[in-house]
Amino acid sequence: MKKLTLLGLALAGALCAQDRLTLPFRDPNAPRKLNVDLFLGSVTVKGYEGRDAIIEYSGSDGFRGRRGAPEPPPAGMHRIGGGREPDISEDNNVITVKGGLWNLTGDLTIQVPVETSVTVKTMTGKSVTIDNISGEIEANNMNGEVNVTNASGSVVANSMNGKVVVSLNKVTPGKNMSFTTMNGTVDVTLPADTKATLKMRADNGDIYSDFDVTLGPRTAPEVKEEKTKSGRVRQRVVRAGTQQGTINGGGAEMQFTTFNGRILIHKK
Amino acid sequence: MTCEETKQLFADYWSDGLNGEDEIKLQEHLGACEGCRKEAERLGALWRDLGALPAEQPGPGLRSRFYDSLAAFRSGADDRFSQPSHRSPAKQMVWQIAAGIALLLAGVGAGYGLRPNQSPELSQLREEVANMRQLVALSLLQQQSASERLRGVSYALRAEPNDSEVLGALLDTVKRDSNVNVRLAAVDALHPFASSPATRNGILQALTKQDAPLVQVALIDLLVDLKIKQAEPELRQLLQNAGDAGVRQRAEWALENLQ
Amino acid sequence: MARVSAGELSKLAVLFERHHRALFRYFVSMSRTREMAEDLVQDVFFRMLRYRSSYDPSRPFTAWMYQIARNAGIDQKRGGEVVGIEEYMERHAEPASSSPGPEEHASRGQNLNLLRRALDRLPRDKREILVLSRFQNMKYEQIGEILGCETGTVKVRVYRAMRALEQIYFALEKEKVS
Ligand SMILES: [Zn+2]
Repeated sequence: MKKLTLLGLALAGALCAQDRLTLPFRDPNAPRKLNVDLFLGSVTVKGYEGRDAIIEYSGSDGFRGRRGAPEPPPAGMHRIGGGREPDISEDNNVITVKGGLWNLTGDLTIQVPVETSVTVKTMTGKSVTIDNISGEIEANNMNGEVNVTNASGSVVANSMNGKVVVSLNKVTPGKNMSFTTMNGTVDVTLPADTKATLKMRADNGDIYSDFDVTLGPRTAPEVKEEKTKSGRVRQRVVRAGTQQGTINGGGAEMQFTTFNGRILIHKK
Repeated sequence: MTCEETKQLFADYWSDGLNGEDEIKLQEHLGACEGCRKEAERLGALWRDLGALPAEQPGPGLRSRFYDSLAAFRSGADDRFSQPSHRSPAKQMVWQIAAGIALLLAGVGAGYGLRPNQSPELSQLREEVANMRQLVALSLLQQQSASERLRGVSYALRAEPNDSEVLGALLDTVKRDSNVNVRLAAVDALHPFASSPATRNGILQALTKQDAPLVQVALIDLLVDLKIKQAEPELRQLLQNAGDAGVRQRAEWALENLQ
Repeated sequence: MARVSAGELSKLAVLFERHHRALFRYFVSMSRTREMAEDLVQDVFFRMLRYRSSYDPSRPFTAWMYQIARNAGIDQKRGGEVVGIEEYMERHAEPASSSPGPEEHASRGQNLNLLRRALDRLPRDKREILVLSRFQNMKYEQIGEILGCETGTVKVRVYRAMRALEQIYFALEKEKVS
């Protein structure tokens, strides 16, 4: 599988605390892509009217400078800053920001041209926020929430322990999308004329929409009888079924899944 | 078999690791020898109870301390530990989608549009369409874009249920795809491949590797739907070690259900 | 796992998320204090970094991890070891030569607390083999690899550990009754 390979620890470029770095995409006319892969820290990506990526890092102090002689730069890369902060590289119009293990309080804000595909992954960041981006958006936050606003194109978003809130102004027809979390609400807003086939599943919650959803097949939920403390028998849903449906006659598949939480599908 | 030899089989007996031949020998001896039978029952009950002891869970401090240390390690001491980085071979352009796939997609569309009675080589055409679906599914599953890979999964769902190449690609996706959403969709797409033994083994392998709770739950559901009884050790493992309470609950339900 | 051995420090966090609970249980069972267990879990992950060049990707990762865990546990100077079984049996009632009747079986399931205490009193090596095989659900071959002995030996030791556990269990039960 062609996946971006991790860069390792050598620093292609680096930032100082509370620093700001501007990095151009090499070819302004070719498609752009931003990859962010962090373990710690929140990430905000914003589209703006410009050509470069502007990367700001608001880390606390407590970083040490480089000790000893600097390593020679890896082939094809140049060193940019002087600290020990995220590794930043540009290759073929793909800008990659990798902050392996940095300070817990360090947050990252990146501005890129509106038309850029964006992939963000973080492990323990409080939030991943992506605003005003047009392209393919992929957001994954393990322990925090995901917020995508003013998006155009397609979104694939996941959180483990947070809510997933996505709002699209425009949907590229034929693109599959998916919005999932283990513990949290899935809240998605779509343009009123979106054509889509929905697959919805909320194990411990309800599904709401103001769209006119034509319901399709539903796999039956599993119910278990339990005795309450007072000795009454009650039924508990142990496993919800998947509800299928279409809006505006159907189209590319959209998946909505939460284990603990509810699903909201709003019409814009 | 002697009593001594019998007792050597107990450990395998408790952990369900006896082969058929040994199982028969053991049962024969237990039927004939009360001493061994009593001991097997007593120790077997104790073994079961051991499995029921609740697992101690670490406090939340462990995780934050670990990440604190990791951050400190990175900012200070890592000069000694970092090794020269390995630069990957030239990366492919992310958005590059083979023109061939677009053509194939067009071809599939055309295939759907043909009315059967107009085509003299209907079966051949069907086969071609099936092959194209396979190709499309296989190529899409390799894409950089998660949305494209999700589309690949949708195509895989339309492949022939005995298409082992598509099944292989799906299982690979369940085990290795970097995106949780794609893995989750791929698990759901495995249902039509239920009859293949490769599916069953693949699910068990994927379950032990999986750390996204949503995908764990989906895999457990699949195990129950396909009635894969040999999943017990994997389920017990999850029951004890899964970090998410929802996963542990679902594993417990599955164990009851698969009995 | 190959990634840590290739110097990919960041992947340690992934390994942590995947294995720390199982390791914690191992250490709690072996050291019986939560505090010490948490320290040891932390220790294991940083030892993995330090010794990552010793990892052989062709062998199971968990075996390597538990080898490190065992070393970490051994290095930690442990306070007063709980009395070993032989000594314990000498001091207490005669071994449970009279096998229990069925009615005693029924109550046993409910007395997991007693079982936990019995396990805590098992000598360290016996306790460890039960923790690895029963709590960590490891295959006997894998345990053999960790402990450096034949699979057959592991099976025999599991059996002996269960026998010893039973004796302590009944001794504790008698103690409680009397
Ligand atoms: Zn016998």
